[in-house]
Amino acid sequence: MADDPTISVVAAPRFRRAWRLFIFYSLALLLTGLVSLIFADLLWRTGWSASRTVLLVLFVILFLFASIGCMHGVFGFFLRTFGDGRRITNLKNYRDKNIDGISTAIVFPIYNEDIVRAYEGLRATYESLAKTGQLERFDFFILSDSTDPDKWVEEERRWFELIRELDALGKIYYRRRLDNEGRKSGNVRDFLNAWGRRYRYFMVCDADSVMRGETLVNLVKLMEAHPSAGLIQTVPATVNAESLFGRIQQFANRLYAPVFIAGLNYWALDLGNYWGHNAIIRTEPFMQFCDLPQLPGRRPFGGQILSHDFVEAALMSRENWEVWFAYDLEGSYEEAPQAMIENAQRERRWCQGNLQHGLVLFAKGLRGASRLHLILGICGYLAGPLWLAFLVTFNWIYWYQEYTGLSNIPVQAFTPYLSGLSGTAHALLIFVICMVVIMLPKLLALIDLANDWPRRKQFGGLGRATISVAGETVFSTLHAPLLMLWHTRFVVTNFLGISVGWTTQKRAAGGTTWLYALQRHWGHTLIGLVWGALMWWVEPILFWWFTPVLAGMALSIPLSVLTSRRSLGARTRAAGLFLTPEEIKLPDELLSLRSNLKIHELTGDNSPRPPHAGLAEAMLDPYVNAIHVSLLREKQFNPAYAEQLTKLGVGGDGVQALGEKLLAEGPDKLSATERLLVMADQRVMVWLHQQSWQRPGETLAAWWRGAILDYSRRD
Amino acid sequence: MESAVTPAILPDASGRLAGRPLEEWNAAYAKVENYFHALRIRNKVLLGDLVLRVLERAQRRAPAEPERSATQLAAEEMDRIVTEWFSEVLQSPPTKADNSLSTRGRLALLLADMPGRWQEQFLRPGPWPEEFTSAMREAFLRAGPDFQISKMTPRPLDLGPITALSNFGRLPYVRMALAWAGFAMLLIVLFRLTHGGFEQLVGWLGRFNH
Repeated sequence: MADDPTISVVAAPRFRRAWRLFIFYSLALLLTGLVSLIFADLLWRTGWSASRTVLLVLFVILFLFASIGCMHGVFGFFLRTFGDGRRITNLKNYRDKNIDGISTAIVFPIYNEDIVRAYEGLRATYESLAKTGQLERFDFFILSDSTDPDKWVEEERRWFELIRELDALGKIYYRRRLDNEGRKSGNVRDFLNAWGRRYRYFMVCDADSVMRGETLVNLVKLMEAHPSAGLIQTVPATVNAESLFGRIQQFANRLYAPVFIAGLNYWALDLGNYWGHNAIIRTEPFMQFCDLPQLPGRRPFGGQILSHDFVEAALMSRENWEVWFAYDLEGSYEEAPQAMIENAQRERRWCQGNLQHGLVLFAKGLRGASRLHLILGICGYLAGPLWLAFLVTFNWIYWYQEYTGLSNIPVQAFTPYLSGLSGTAHALLIFVICMVVIMLPKLLALIDLANDWPRRKQFGGLGRATISVAGETVFSTLHAPLLMLWHTRFVVTNFLGISVGWTTQKRAAGGTTWLYALQRHWGHTLIGLVWGALMWWVEPILFWWFTPVLAGMALSIPLSVLTSRRSLGARTRAAGLFLTPEEIKLPDELLSLRSNLKIHELTGDNSPRPPHAGLAEAMLDPYVNAIHVSLLREKQFNPAYAEQLTKLGVGGDGVQALGEKLLAEGPDKLSATERLLVMADQRVMVWLHQQSWQRPGETLAAWWRGAILDYSRRD
Repeated sequence: MESAVTPAILPDASGRLAGRPLEEWNAAYAKVENYFHALRIRNKVLLGDLVLRVLERAQRRAPAEPERSATQLAAEEMDRIVTEWFSEVLQSPPTKADNSLSTRGRLALLLADMPGRWQEQFLRPGPWPEEFTSAMREAFLRAGPDFQISKMTPRPLDLGPITALSNFGRLPYVRMALAWAGFAMLLIVLFRLTHGGFEQLVGWLGRFNH
């Protein structure tokens, strides 16, 4: 049972936000209502039926999603054009705040990541912070949840190299958990339970995050200026994309997001949201109110909350702590998937988590705005299957009409304004309205760019940005049907409680391979071809109307392969397409990141390592073994870890026997869990180091003899 | 600690060294050299000298322990020499129980940057330069600041009737009742389809469209 809270904050007046919410969503509903009326009229003109009722309901829901998106664009555009006073960065003068004596932890939860990339991101952030002169107010924590024994050792070794290079011993810490309970949120909770009370604030970064030092300092100052702020979320700019897909997504993020987020901030204000990283959090209220309970029932909806961030923001807001978007703070970066399939893999994880919010939605005491954030998240994934259902229902109606030979001659519209229109013109009108609603935010983002001279240059000029928007629109049109099919699959399998296991992507240096694309997209291609053939058979005109949807599916394999290629990304960049501000002028922190990654690449330091390389290093290398064992010893000082170690059987004869087997038979004879267990036992690891160097070769497994030989030849 | 190779350990007339064939000592040499190499001793003269020191101690033991191979003896002596040296430099007595001195010593070598700055000091008898000893003795690796242990506890989420609904499947006999209901529905559908229901189904689909 939770203790009584020891910290509270008085709720700020909500009157203005209530009006904003009312106006924003009323306009979205009004637009949906009017267009739905026109659509209903079209259906009525060709003869009403039960299937048309289904079609209308689906249309209303889907159009509501689109109009909410459109309203974000429209409101955001006007706010950016005429000024938005209700921004957290504009409410108080925070820049003069003194942050002496304020301690902040910057945490990097990692899980079997590309360690070089993750650590270089941390290094860039650390060095940027050092330039502000405020480094001593911050501590960095690498919070590992890695389950791969080799990654574990590599993380430790590279952590040591990093702290030595940066002279950051006692500034950058490394901790690996013994279990993965609660995944990322559990990882952060574990950190808070061990060290949380030392820090007034903590910032969560992802493995691919980079933050500018000045931004970090400004976030702390903002928190100090707003004592009732519980969480401030920055809007990370997508950077470092190289493939065509990545660059298109990056361009869309950089051009459209400012407008959208300004619109989001219009109605959310201090009841904003949390996206899980690149955000600052007030530690005390987070620790008291944001630990996540288990949901009742079984998976996929019950059990552990997977997408923790939205829920944590909702819990923070429930206790009257403000949650803001600091959307105009620059210097917050993240990376995005470089290929369609990678992107879909990420979508699958998010889909599962967002659908689970369907239960949280009913939690008592949540603020209305928090529920809206949850609903919008869910709708983002339900839109796919609903759109598919809409298309199938529409096709069914068309086919039945053709099959039965029923008349298609429309009757008069019920409004005098539409009565002069033919049925085709009426349908075209609705189509045009839908396109305008979907495209308007992009157009407004472009006009927003046109209004801002310095920003135009950051996108390569207005002309190039316009061509890029056109290109992005063509690509997203082809990509949308694939997302529809993917989301449908994810939603359906999730509802059925089926886990969709995907193997790790086999990527060539240039991107997705043809074979892998074939494995992942053959179903999409088949659906596109069969569906297209059926449409052609029913009515060739219908086929042409559906070409964009069908083309996305039928061409999914080449689309997936070609857009994943770096060469095409480079070519479009050379042509001045899809340029972003960070590509035009690389910020210092990203320049540092890129240069350091290049050094790793040139020295071959990050080349793939043979199996069990980490284990061999932890046993054979006198220094890596010493680092590993020292870190294990420190765990004993935390009662929670000590208890877990005992539970695992560490220190017992069983682990010693596994160590003996490891030496005599080689690492392949132990399962990954057994190897992890051996590596978690500091006594056995010291013994293994000693034994591997002292025993005569003939008593060691051939694998170890080879490893020692390799080791001896190293320079 | 002696550092020179004495004539006492030169090969005898039969070509054996301390009662063992030269090949065996060669293997022992390689073993010790490999370990010092792993400790990043890169200076070949120094490396050779250190290996010989270890072998010399092993050779002194060899006649008394004929059942042990030269490699075993050399490996044991190597460990002993290194641990003794750590004990002297770190001013810390060796502990038999957990070999923590060896770990601490190796870590200290790394933190003091022995491979880069102090190779010539490795295994050398004292006194050592002040900078070196303080770097070794103060070396300490920390994964985190002092723990300030607390325990986050989740506050329950009241989901209202949703809680009851999400637990519906766990109610006693619900699954059995659902299975029976499903079976009954199947029988009804079968009966309808075999008694003119198929035509009705087509008609119903038609009504759905009109």
